[in-house]
Amino acid sequence: MNQKSIFNFSTLVVVAIGIGAALYGFLGFFGFTVGPQTWVKPAIAFLTIFGALFGPIVGLLIGLIGHVITDLISGGIVWWGWAFGSALIGLFSGFVFMNKDFNVKAGSYAKKHIYQILIYGLIGCIVGIGEATLFDIFIMGEPVDKMAVQFWGAVLANIATVTVLGLPIVLAILRVNKKSSNLTIEK
Amino acid sequence: MSKMGTLYAPGNSIFHRMDGSVKMLLFAAWTIATFLFLDLRVFVVMLLVGLGLLLSAKIPFRRIRVIFWVMIVFNVFNTAFILLITPTYGSELTGTSTPVLNIGYNTINLETLFYVLTLTTKYITLLPISLLFIFTTHPSQFASSLNRIGIPYKIAYAVNIAFRYIPDIQSEFRSITNSMQMRGIGFRKGDAPFIQRVKNVTSIAFPMLYSSLQRIEVVSNAMELRGFGKHRRRTWYHMEKYQGIDYLVGTLSILLIAGSIWMKVSVLKGFWYPL
Amino acid sequence: MISFHNFSFQYQKLTEPTLRNINLDIRPGEKILIAGPSGSGKSTLAHCINGLIPFTYEGKLEGTMTLHGESTTGKSIFEISQSVGTILQDLDGQFIGLSVGEDVAFSFENDGVPRAQMKQEVERALTTVNMLDYIDQSPHDLSGGQKQRVSLAGILSTQADILLFDEPLANLDPASGKQAMKMIDDIHQQTNKTIIIIEHRIEDVLEQLIDRIVVMSEGEIQAIGTPDEILSSDILRKHGLREPLYIEALKYAGCELSAADELTQLHHINVPKFENALTSWYNAGTASTSSPSKQPLLDVQNVRFSYDGEHEVIRGVSFQVQTGEIVALLGNNGAGKSTLSHLIMGIVRQSSGEIRLQGEEIRNWSIRKRGEQIGYVMQNPNQMITQHMIWDEVALGLTIRGVSKETIDAKVEHILRICGLYPYRNWPISALSYGQKKRVTIAAVLAMEPKLIILDEPTAGQDYKHYTEFMEFIAELARTGLSFIFITHDMHLALEYTDSAVVISGGEVIANDKVASVLTNAEVIERANLKETSLSVLARVIGLPSAEGFVQHFINYEKQVKHHE
Repeated sequence: MNQKSIFNFSTLVVVAIGIGAALYGFLGFFGFTVGPQTWVKPAIAFLTIFGALFGPIVGLLIGLIGHVITDLISGGIVWWGWAFGSALIGLFSGFVFMNKDFNVKAGSYAKKHIYQILIYGLIGCIVGIGEATLFDIFIMGEPVDKMAVQFWGAVLANIATVTVLGLPIVLAILRVNKKSSNLTIEK
Repeated sequence: MSKMGTLYAPGNSIFHRMDGSVKMLLFAAWTIATFLFLDLRVFVVMLLVGLGLLLSAKIPFRRIRVIFWVMIVFNVFNTAFILLITPTYGSELTGTSTPVLNIGYNTINLETLFYVLTLTTKYITLLPISLLFIFTTHPSQFASSLNRIGIPYKIAYAVNIAFRYIPDIQSEFRSITNSMQMRGIGFRKGDAPFIQRVKNVTSIAFPMLYSSLQRIEVVSNAMELRGFGKHRRRTWYHMEKYQGIDYLVGTLSILLIAGSIWMKVSVLKGFWYPL
Repeated sequence: MISFHNFSFQYQKLTEPTLRNINLDIRPGEKILIAGPSGSGKSTLAHCINGLIPFTYEGKLEGTMTLHGESTTGKSIFEISQSVGTILQDLDGQFIGLSVGEDVAFSFENDGVPRAQMKQEVERALTTVNMLDYIDQSPHDLSGGQKQRVSLAGILSTQADILLFDEPLANLDPASGKQAMKMIDDIHQQTNKTIIIIEHRIEDVLEQLIDRIVVMSEGEIQAIGTPDEILSSDILRKHGLREPLYIEALKYAGCELSAADELTQLHHINVPKFENALTSWYNAGTASTSSPSKQPLLDVQNVRFSYDGEHEVIRGVSFQVQTGEIVALLGNNGAGKSTLSHLIMGIVRQSSGEIRLQGEEIRNWSIRKRGEQIGYVMQNPNQMITQHMIWDEVALGLTIRGVSKETIDAKVEHILRICGLYPYRNWPISALSYGQKKRVTIAAVLAMEPKLIILDEPTAGQDYKHYTEFMEFIAELARTGLSFIFITHDMHLALEYTDSAVVISGGEVIANDKVASVLTNAEVIERANLKETSLSVLARVIGLPSAEGFVQHFINYEKQVKHHE
């Protein structure tokens, strides 16, 4: 895990995808309803975190596998459009990882990276949910106007989750990892 | 959910014996075929066939009852939203409008009702094969099957790891939330104001995350020490030789994809509206 | 076979080497124990042997390490793992497959072995460890001991001629631990593979024959010798390791030990030499058992419970915990210990029977309401900690209760001082050691001012020194009137720090008595997967009148010694 290559499928990366997908898949069960057929899954925050920790490909696969697992375990049908949406959100959350001077484990980051996490998170939500919306319109044949309502509901809810849950957690980890040096015992 | 982390129900039907990769292919073909159309006739035929197959797998009904209910509730709500938000959407597809019910700001028409019926059937058509796949496929077969249909084995194995550790994560989640509740941290409505509850939910994330990161390290070490990733290919303990039935169903699945594409292109191009 | 010469290792992120100047030759077919307290470098040494260093953990290597006479530099981890098979401490991390058969097959799969051959080999390996009947079971249906057997089968199926066990006893109950050591010994005798065991629970490892013990501390090898040599010296104690209890007893009795006394074979121990000293030490013992005040804090009466309404898992359990008392809840896996603690905490509710706290029936209390009186500390502190800073973690429960800021600050400061964490108050929790984190979780629970604290495996993952410090801290809290329930496998812990023991088996209480009498009662020991303490074996071998009296005397004596230290 020293070189920051995104296609380097070391065993660690394979396991990170597996465990990340298990986490995202299991936590995907929990959600609040915020609008018509629209849920906020706090689990989305884990895509932000794993993306920042392991990069875009890991984020993408965790989103995809995790989402399909949630659907498979809860029974019923797999919502492929939304599963690819999760994958895209995961992909975008990983882009910040590609900065050479950004490293969660070492706690090295600059202010610009925080904006990047936020902006990529935002774009990820729009692209991911946009894809899911188009999928539902063109593949499933849902009405455009109804999907527009769902689109905005889901985008706003997910952006809120990324901002309120995902980003603070990543920031907290970064701060802690940065602080872990130069500690003094106080009397 | 069973201890295995999936809904797998042991049995000895033809679907239980079928190879996982073939079932994946069938599942994919069925899904594609359903996705292509917006035609009630197609869905009714597929639904009947699907239900027949589901019955033959002899999955105990009490295990899938809830899922049917969830599906029905979903469709009721979906229908309600479509009718409320776009009460005349059906006209866009047919070009005609037959008013049925005035809802104040607009009028729901017959075309839309028929459209909603078609859409609901479309969703339900996906259900039998999906259930068949989930309930008759042992999770151990997922990874080898994915690899067999061309997914690189490292990605396929990640799926195996996910299924392996979901139950562990589940029980860990339970003990974490229990211990937090004992410290007065509430998650349910009424335990605390909304903002506080959001904060409380955030605080589950840390222990879950840290223990997962620790687990990633341990599991990755264990796998490395046992030679994972040594070669470009690997064999699978759970990969059986294809039997006659596998070839048959595989061929039928491919025919289903080809057939449905042909039908879509040349016969049933759009929304079917007989009235 | 394996040989280290002037070997040192420093992790990339650390400023000091973790291993210094290691010189060690491990001979073919040898069975060797590497013992040391936490941070002694024993796990790092294990990582060097199995190749995780330098492949996964990078750092600076000096000196040489050879495997089969060849230097390991330039070899891949796969080449090394062909001769070294490792069984990790974390049984769930090691067990990767979704079923027993699949897990054993893992290395064959990676080697690309054809399926027909794989099946045969898997079956053969499972037969060796007596687990063939479980071939289709999922890991979640197995006990810790069974998972370990499967892992061993997975390693045996490869042709590795060195087996490395990293803390094999850490997650097992006493009887399963004993079986595990027996199994390792059987494998050793059948295959004559080289066995390396990393452990700090020396007494349990020494139940089977060991050729040599390597004692490590502060990154260096402090002593290498036969078990008899090591036991007769003071090396273990000096380096923060626990001696077997019977050795401690002999030393307390003032016996001179020498390597010729067959100290490792308790049954063949030099009786004539020790008889007089032990007998007179025993007779000097006064039955000074201060019974705690009889004020029941928690009163569990005839509690029954079942998850599915058919099979009762708790079948009429009754016991009491007095104010200021420490009670051990012992029993095998699946006996109902966790269910019982869940009943007390209100995570599940009993179908009949009563649970009273200070005389009040708490049946209808929510988890949170009970949480104000009863604290629960999980085994793994990492699963409990939700904040980043120590101060915030301890203040959390109070903040949620809506206590004013000044009160919180005063209380948190007070508690941090009690727990010895005040000097670290501004540290992130991630910078603390495992034992310190454990203290943080106790501090966080203490802040809620409970009357009773349930500790799940309080000593797991801690070496003797940290364990002693931690338990002395708990004992101190108990003296202030707090009550504790320990849910534990650790017999030493039960012996030394608890006032009484409740033993559960099959959902019933099979013993509820003083620890010394429970742990000398053969029937109870057998049913609850416990192990007879070596003290009572010693008492029998020497021919003392009462094993129970001897154990009790030992406990009392030890408490005095510790109090004076």
